[in-house]
Amino acid sequence: MSTRFALSAFVASCLCIAGAYALAFLPGGAPPWASWGIALGAPGALATIMLLGASRGGRIPATAAVAIVLTFVVLTLAFGIALLLPAAEGAGGPLLLGLPLRTAIVIYGVGITPLFFLPAAYAAAFDAETLTEADLERVRRAAAERVA
Amino acid sequence: MSGWPLAEAATVAQRHPAIITVAALYFAGVAAIALWATRRTHSAADYFVAGKGIGIVTLAVAAMASTLSGFAFIGGPGLVYSVGTGAVFIVLSAAVTSTMVAWVLAKRLRLLREVRGVFTIPDAIGARFGSPAAQGLAAAAILVAIIGYMATNFLALGLVIDALFGTGLTAGVWIAMLLTLSYTLTGGMLAGVYTDLFEGLVKTAASLTVFWFVLRSSGGLPGISRAIMAVDATFLGPWGKMSSLSALSLFFVFGLGSLGQPHVLHKFYMLRDPRKLKWYPLIMSLAMTMTLLLFVGVGLAVRALVAEGRVPPLARPDDATATFVLGFTPSVVAGIVFAGVIAAGMSTVNSFMNIGAAALTHDLPIAFGRRIRDELRWGRLWTLVLSVIAAAVAQASGTLVAFLGIFGYGLFAATLVPSLAIGLNWKGATREGAIASIATGLVLTLMVETLVYFRVFSLPVGVSTSGLSLILSVLVFFAVSRLTRARAATQLAPDVALVMEV
Repeated sequence: MSTRFALSAFVASCLCIAGAYALAFLPGGAPPWASWGIALGAPGALATIMLLGASRGGRIPATAAVAIVLTFVVLTLAFGIALLLPAAEGAGGPLLLGLPLRTAIVIYGVGITPLFFLPAAYAAAFDAETLTEADLERVRRAAAERVA
Repeated sequence: MSGWPLAEAATVAQRHPAIITVAALYFAGVAAIALWATRRTHSAADYFVAGKGIGIVTLAVAAMASTLSGFAFIGGPGLVYSVGTGAVFIVLSAAVTSTMVAWVLAKRLRLLREVRGVFTIPDAIGARFGSPAAQGLAAAAILVAIIGYMATNFLALGLVIDALFGTGLTAGVWIAMLLTLSYTLTGGMLAGVYTDLFEGLVKTAASLTVFWFVLRSSGGLPGISRAIMAVDATFLGPWGKMSSLSALSLFFVFGLGSLGQPHVLHKFYMLRDPRKLKWYPLIMSLAMTMTLLLFVGVGLAVRALVAEGRVPPLARPDDATATFVLGFTPSVVAGIVFAGVIAAGMSTVNSFMNIGAAALTHDLPIAFGRRIRDELRWGRLWTLVLSVIAAAVAQASGTLVAFLGIFGYGLFAATLVPSLAIGLNWKGATREGAIASIATGLVLTLMVETLVYFRVFSLPVGVSTSGLSLILSVLVFFAVSRLTRARAATQLAPDVALVMEV
């Protein structure tokens, strides 16, 4: 996976969001499917800018790529399921872990699930893929040369 | 049982001396830290970036404390009480944003400090694009946003101090300003960051304790849900009482917008050892999640209590937290929560005082080709001036405060995300793109927010000024950078390019 892909996907995600906003300006307001623009675009924007930040020398390291793609899938699935499932939040509706089903999918899926793997993936990849001792040495050498 | 509006809490507090005692202990703790930090603040580096640096736990907890202002404890639960789960979309991205900020900006900003000695966020933009104009424009945007942010926080703090000590609102606002100013002015960022740590711990303790009482109030989460669902089918739907487009738009703005919050991001400059960033997302995510339990839980609990007829409907949604803690938790817990509210406001204001003073002392003079010799003295002077202006605004006009407070987060996001977050990760970005996007974010946010506020026109359902400004400033950044791409390579200094490569 390359930086170029991340950049293109970030722009595409932003265009999805811009499209959803543009649809809202139509006479009669946004059609119901306009929400899909942000349901796909917002997770896409967050995931692809993370890919961009995690990249080194034009390539995206494997651990970061897997964790970030998984985040995108979890977020998009949660929003997608909430948009697709019929409403059942009235009296006697089904609960999942104490919340109505669709709400539980969004709150636990988007608000909790990434906590179980994303920070851990960052920590696991840090020493080898994010900032090595050698990287720090190079930067400090450049700083010293600049001062000199 | 009657409600306990915040404004009426003074009489309640007098009946519960524990609340006053806990609040007084909190102020004593802040004073002790300020005194300690004052003795160690000798230079501009001490004042603006906490001298020789801080550890990762302090950084993460202080960043959490600065991120979550008084809104997280008062306005947020009130919004959940009003519009249901749709309001949760404001904080829903917190599980992702800490790691996102770490990957996208933390390392780059910290290494930029290593090679360039930068200590403000506009500094980083100036270094990336070799552009004092971009640096100055970013500083101007920050200044516009922080006056409103500071004024709203002074007003919220004034309300709480008045409620606790019966000072009157005007005196409460000025007491809040003087308290925050006293430790910021003397101890600078060193005092700020360690009081942030203390305040962050108070906030987390308050949130966890209150959430435990939330779960007890109506038979756990299933009990709360059943009580609400019996009377209102949409409140607990995935988007609450908002449209799906509006709720998802909040997720986008507060998610991507977290990459443009200078009061949080500048703390990365202070980290002693950059290799400790490894643990930042883990600690920050944990701290944020624990502290946000109050935001989500209290609004739902109070709505359930209203549905069960145990509490009358609130006259003002912002009374949700005061109603719950004064009615359903012991006095000591209520005291910790009020201390947490004060902590939230003070830690956020302190960060804004610091970055505002840095913008005036450092960034704007650079934009005009000048350097100030005694940045420590001028930093203190500008801190004082900004604080007085913000307190005067808070006291003078509630309407103006509400107006200024609306767009702070969005203005930061629309003006800083493209040039900072994308700029530090894409070598094809250009100075022209950065200037155009900052100008777009600034002008569009001010113009649209003003027109909407004064009802000249309204945005369609699902579209917010913040969302519109952010997406347009990002697209302008790409479009102008693309048009001027031939200049990109010449605008990137070798040492900054190295920071972007590692």
